[in-house]
Amino acid sequence: MPTVTIQPTGEVIYLEPGETVLSGLYKAGFAYTVGCRRGGCGICKVDCRSGEFRYDHPVADSVLTEDERADDTCLSCRAVPATDLTIELRGENVRLVSTFLHQINEKARQRAEAHAAATQTAGTTHKE
Amino acid sequence: MGVMRMGYAHVRVTDLAEAKDHYANTMGLYETHAEGNKVYYKAWDEWDHHSVVLEEGGVGLVKFGWKVEKSSDIDDIEKKAQAFGVTVERMSKGENPEIGDGIRFTTPSEHVFEVYHEATLVGTEVGTHNPDAFPRHLVGVGVPALDHSLITAEDPGLMDRFLTAVFDFYPTERVQTSLDSDADIIATWMTSNNQIHQLAVLAGPQGKLHHFAFRLGDWVEVGRAADLFSMDDVPIDIGPTRHGITRGQTVYFFDPSGNRNEVFAGGYLAYRDRPMSVWTPEQLGKGVFYHARELNDAFTSVLT
Repeated sequence: MPTVTIQPTGEVIYLEPGETVLSGLYKAGFAYTVGCRRGGCGICKVDCRSGEFRYDHPVADSVLTEDERADDTCLSCRAVPATDLTIELRGENVRLVSTFLHQINEKARQRAEAHAAATQTAGTTHKE
Repeated sequence: MGVMRMGYAHVRVTDLAEAKDHYANTMGLYETHAEGNKVYYKAWDEWDHHSVVLEEGGVGLVKFGWKVEKSSDIDDIEKKAQAFGVTVERMSKGENPEIGDGIRFTTPSEHVFEVYHEATLVGTEVGTHNPDAFPRHLVGVGVPALDHSLITAEDPGLMDRFLTAVFDFYPTERVQTSLDSDADIIATWMTSNNQIHQLAVLAGPQGKLHHFAFRLGDWVEVGRAADLFSMDDVPIDIGPTRHGITRGQTVYFFDPSGNRNEVFAGGYLAYRDRPMSVWTPEQLGKGVFYHARELNDAFTSVLT
């Protein structure tokens, strides 16, 4: 269950497996400055403070420099979390544009957490 | 008459398979050739071998090809480009598949232009003998032709002078800092004929692509294109809306690599003797997006 924590507010967003950071944030009712949403313009770069992600498509060298592939840079429209992530936007913060979608995401997160806990308990019981 | 039209747009794509799906199945272009990491396409109402070239690796523009009316136009443009201070190289038939001899140069805006006269005639999909109005089995949007492009340059005024001097283009509309004769040019829309624009240049970084556009007939077709973009999960940048500048009806959207495309309908007829329209910064939002009347940040910052 990958989650994305957005600093500095500490908001926690639940992502479906395989979903990009940008897609997950928008589906959870948040907005920030994005461009082509297809990895070409580089507008949606954020900083990844902790956790790991992979890019689900090849990214052009004109979009991500060699340094940016090694540092904290996360091209959010192509980045799929491999672990829970903590990100921080550059020069802005996310805007909550839909409380409705935010509530749905929060419920999905609670459900996934409960499911994970139940699976773990069941697994433990089985082993014992 | 020199330059007749933008003959081809050659762009880079990060994933050729996804790009092919977009340009063939969503836009409805016809694949005419493929070799190595490149694929060539034409639209149904175009007769030359190709108008769009996709090359795998990166994003953005590789080059534009400009088709001239007479082979002597190539020599004429070569001389004018050299006189402007641009280095021109000759290109040979076959350097681009199915394209003849020509010239190649890098513009003051750092875009690569090729000028050619010969291209293999494939013919439109409706032919020339008692032709029907359109092909019966168009795919997706089914665009009839490549239309124009918008590029960025640090000095659009210099590109305005360059295109005037070398291509004999003329500006149909401009965005200027004021109406004064010494105002700075922020953007310029240029053509060689009655088409409202073949190439527009907007202030921005050198060598970048803002979008390249496909032609459509009217509002209904533009609306239908937008419906198809939703069906195919194509990110829409803006629209359907109208541009105040050119009066064209439009959707801006992105290909799977993030190159901006446009479908463009309408626009009034351009003439050399028609007084140029001038837009000033306080109305730029309306000039670009006639209904929202607000320039979004993406219009000036999202480039490939």
